Amino acid sequence: MTALSRPWNRLSLAGKIILPLVAVLIALNITLVVLWMSGLLPFLVQAILDTLGANIAILRFLLAATIILLITVPVAFMNIFFEMKLIAFVNLRIGPNRIGPWGTLASVIHGLKVLAKEDFTPRGVDVPVFTLAPAVVYLASVMTLLVVPFAPGLHGYDMDIGLLYFFAISGLGVVGLMMAGWSSFNKYSLLGGLRAAAGMISYELPLILAVMGIVLLSGTLNLNTIVQNQSGSFLDWYIFQQPLGALIFFIAATAEGSRPPFDLTEADSEIVAGFATEYSGMRFGFFFFAEYVNMFILSAMTAVLFLGGWNAPLDLAPIANALGIATPIDIALDPGSMGPGLLWLVLLAPPLIVGGLTAVIWMLKSDWSIIVSAIVAFVLFNLLVGGGVMLLLAMGIDWVMGLVWFLGKTIGLSLFFVLMRATLPRVRIDQLMGFAWKWLVPAALVNIFVTAAAIVVLHEIGRPL
Amino acid sequence: MTAEPRVRSLDDPEILVHSPAAIIDAVPPYPPRTEREAEFYTLADGEMFINLGPQHPSTHGVLRVVLKLDGERVVDLDPVLGYLHRGVEKICENGDWHHAISNCDPLEYIASMFSEAMPVLVAEKLLDLDVPRRAEYIRVLAWELNRISSHALFIGWLALDLGGLTPILYGFIERDEIVEMLAALTGQKLLFNYLRIGGVNGDLNHEFLSRLGDWMGHAAKRIEDQMRLMNENEIFVGRTRGLGVLTRETALRTCVTGPPLRATGVPYDVRRAHPYSVYPELEFDIPTRTEGDSYARYLLHLEEIRQSIHIIDQVLHQMPDGPVMAKLPRLLRVPPGRAWVAFESPRGQYGAYGISDGTDQPFRLRIHDPSYFTLQAVGELVPGHLVADTMAIMASLDPIMGGIDK
Amino acid sequence: MTDTALARRLQERLGDQLLAPVGARHDTTEIWVGPGQLTSVMTTLHDDPDLRFELLADLAGVDTGGVLQVVYHLWSPLSPDWLRVICDGLPREDPRLPSVTFLWNGAEWAEREAWDMFGLIFEGNRDLRRIYMPPDYESFPLRKDFLMPDDASRSPGLGVRPMEEALPPADPARVPVLRSSAGAGSLWSGTGTQVVGPGPATPAISAGGDA
Repeated sequence: MTALSRPWNRLSLAGKIILPLVAVLIALNITLVVLWMSGLLPFLVQAILDTLGANIAILRFLLAATIILLITVPVAFMNIFFEMKLIAFVNLRIGPNRIGPWGTLASVIHGLKVLAKEDFTPRGVDVPVFTLAPAVVYLASVMTLLVVPFAPGLHGYDMDIGLLYFFAISGLGVVGLMMAGWSSFNKYSLLGGLRAAAGMISYELPLILAVMGIVLLSGTLNLNTIVQNQSGSFLDWYIFQQPLGALIFFIAATAEGSRPPFDLTEADSEIVAGFATEYSGMRFGFFFFAEYVNMFILSAMTAVLFLGGWNAPLDLAPIANALGIATPIDIALDPGSMGPGLLWLVLLAPPLIVGGLTAVIWMLKSDWSIIVSAIVAFVLFNLLVGGGVMLLLAMGIDWVMGLVWFLGKTIGLSLFFVLMRATLPRVRIDQLMGFAWKWLVPAALVNIFVTAAAIVVLHEIGRPL
Repeated sequence: MTAEPRVRSLDDPEILVHSPAAIIDAVPPYPPRTEREAEFYTLADGEMFINLGPQHPSTHGVLRVVLKLDGERVVDLDPVLGYLHRGVEKICENGDWHHAISNCDPLEYIASMFSEAMPVLVAEKLLDLDVPRRAEYIRVLAWELNRISSHALFIGWLALDLGGLTPILYGFIERDEIVEMLAALTGQKLLFNYLRIGGVNGDLNHEFLSRLGDWMGHAAKRIEDQMRLMNENEIFVGRTRGLGVLTRETALRTCVTGPPLRATGVPYDVRRAHPYSVYPELEFDIPTRTEGDSYARYLLHLEEIRQSIHIIDQVLHQMPDGPVMAKLPRLLRVPPGRAWVAFESPRGQYGAYGISDGTDQPFRLRIHDPSYFTLQAVGELVPGHLVADTMAIMASLDPIMGGIDK
Repeated sequence: MTDTALARRLQERLGDQLLAPVGARHDTTEIWVGPGQLTSVMTTLHDDPDLRFELLADLAGVDTGGVLQVVYHLWSPLSPDWLRVICDGLPREDPRLPSVTFLWNGAEWAEREAWDMFGLIFEGNRDLRRIYMPPDYESFPLRKDFLMPDDASRSPGLGVRPMEEALPPADPARVPVLRSSAGAGSLWSGTGTQVVGPGPATPAISAGGDA
């Protein structure tokens, strides 16, 4: 025993983890070889495949959940970068500009910094609750991504009660904030947690009531169906049928995501960081990850519910058809489909562009000879054409275009959230509550009533929506 | 609260309390010294203490305020000072009059051109010294520039304490230009050490004047930008209007001076009430407002920036030629006597009471900092408001802890 | 440029309560009162419609080396002058005087500071505790007998002043102008020094002119 325990103790932590894994791998390999030699393998594989096929829903769910968990990382980094850069722009500062091109990696470095920081637990805290709270907050925001339709056919889980699921899960976030506020054993945290509870519960109500109009109009809670109902031109988007609902939803979403001017839960100039005061390291990072993911999700939900989700604002197919272009895919595969009139452009383009590029490069880089410039220009041209063709091909696939439109709308709304943060001071807790209960809830109720009445009236006069 | 308390207190792990709200960390570990202290540190049912500072983003320095809260509503508060106390008055007594200038410099570190004027003006009054007119004009120029830079920061801080991110940086743009300008004049950016007994340390130079000219070109427009950003902002107005209303009587009883007093309608500005330097020769208004709330204080600061720009304009046009230092012996023995000087700093009436015993050292230099008295007003203004309003009220009174703690 | 009308009014209203005739220099009118008369003098100054000293500009403690003083500076909209009220003759051992917080509750902190720095006890101040120094601190730093042993003050005029040595409390060479006006011989009647004026009768007319 001692003979084994001494080298084992000398191993580093990583070694202690890796060595058993290697042992397991070797054992698995031996088992596989034995199985193959004995002829049992095909039988086993068939059984496993059958089992998986029978439970494809679970598999699909697990895969989607994993992918969505992973997606949150770049999403949060992107949002943090946009926030830093846009607020800097509003503040007449430069903002992050050192790490990566245009400072794009600054937020990644921030994430790494948070990872590297010491994660300590203050004395007096309720340790299990204190430890669980960031995970609850994070999961509550991430799990809602499961039902968000990113593009046609690209969604985590096509739930018929998607909208209900979204509100149910996002409402869990407040439990995490309360846990953090209570367990931190700090009065600032306590105030922050209670503010979170009061504010978020108040704003759940207008948030849910605001989308009731859409539920009435579309007759479904399935988010995919809601998006499909908005296809066509941008005039079919629900924002034009539910402008009041959209406004209420966006304001309530700002409060729900505790974004300025409703960020009372973490008001840094009042209660320092609210529920997050006692957190450090990655546990603190989880809260902020959750906040930025939440910002993305709320933007995404606004886009899905009111701005047509992945639908393009204009359908350009008729114009393309009139020009003799069927789809971008056709051009990429067969330039001849552009018609004889436009074909000469394609044929003339390579020499003209290469020549132009050569001239430009030669003028910019005076120490290069014209031949070197021409070679560089040719390579550059090929890269550009290759990229262009790839782009055209991608545009031909409807989920790629859908994703582009969806992300465009979502990021636009996220930037709007950031702009609000840059320009508006924070409201007070009584103003926040008064605004929710005196203005948003009645307005949302009026919205529901008017929508329902309109549906009934239009139905009666024989022109249902 | 019938269940057994289960949370361990942070102060003493042996003590079990009902909730984090019952932690008693703000209570001083010694018996109360006065009845007021005893009354303050006794909690009624449902109240809790919260310790604001000394490390807190919006206490403008190292101020600690113990708030007694009922929910989020402030019942009472007890400011605890002394975290920046250096004993400047004692230090000044132990150096000579010239040393006192640089010792007083860091008191009002946002507008140190004012705090360093205290020993200068006292000594000049005791010496019955005639300061060259050019030096007086240069002083007024430096003071008004510094006043603008301080007010620009005030506006930013007020917005920052209300949660706005941008105005502080707009304020810093203004301040940055003025500070660079004054650095060209004095050689330093924060603690200028520029005024001297009998004049100023150096004449105007080309760099200063060219920077000043550039700045004067767009100074008024900057203020318009600030106003557009904040004046009509619904949330900002909603947070500040009607908040922390100081009445005329309360302000006078609390010895508040400066913008908080003028916002209550009392046109008390030492530049007019007791003219000093060349202010009688300059034309400017003392803006007042009658509301006395945070919003009025904010608007008053904006108006004072305009008036200061107006003063600077006149000073530049009327600037006489001549020396900038009076002839004085190197070893300055100030004749015995008592003198009180007061002058208007961005935060109110700065005063100094100097006593000389005929040596080259001050016998006593009493420093009167306006923030010290303004900060007292939070005791009257804050109770009844919410925690968030505490910051808005404190920021609108614009205290600087360097001067308060001396 | 002193306000003689104000001096006349003060002499007329308060003459019997003052320790000395009203004096004036520069833009400051000066009256001396004892701690016993302080309350009534201050009330008159604040409430009298002809005086209306409604703003307490400053409250300063002073250690003359002998006795302690409290110096008030007041402002009135009716006069171009500052008014300096010197409450004189407070013994070092037990310097007690009435608080003025009943007129200006802003004086509360100023009195706390004077208590903290000089040990002046203001009777009637509801919250007289140390404001700068720690609560368990026992000395009064701005008193002249509080010396900083490591900070020997250097002065080119007087050479190195040995701060480790305690100054005699009534050293007339050090504190000549700050007479007590409570009467000659009461505390430190600085006769014979080159800077002291003729006597306690005219303590405030021209402090600098005494020399």
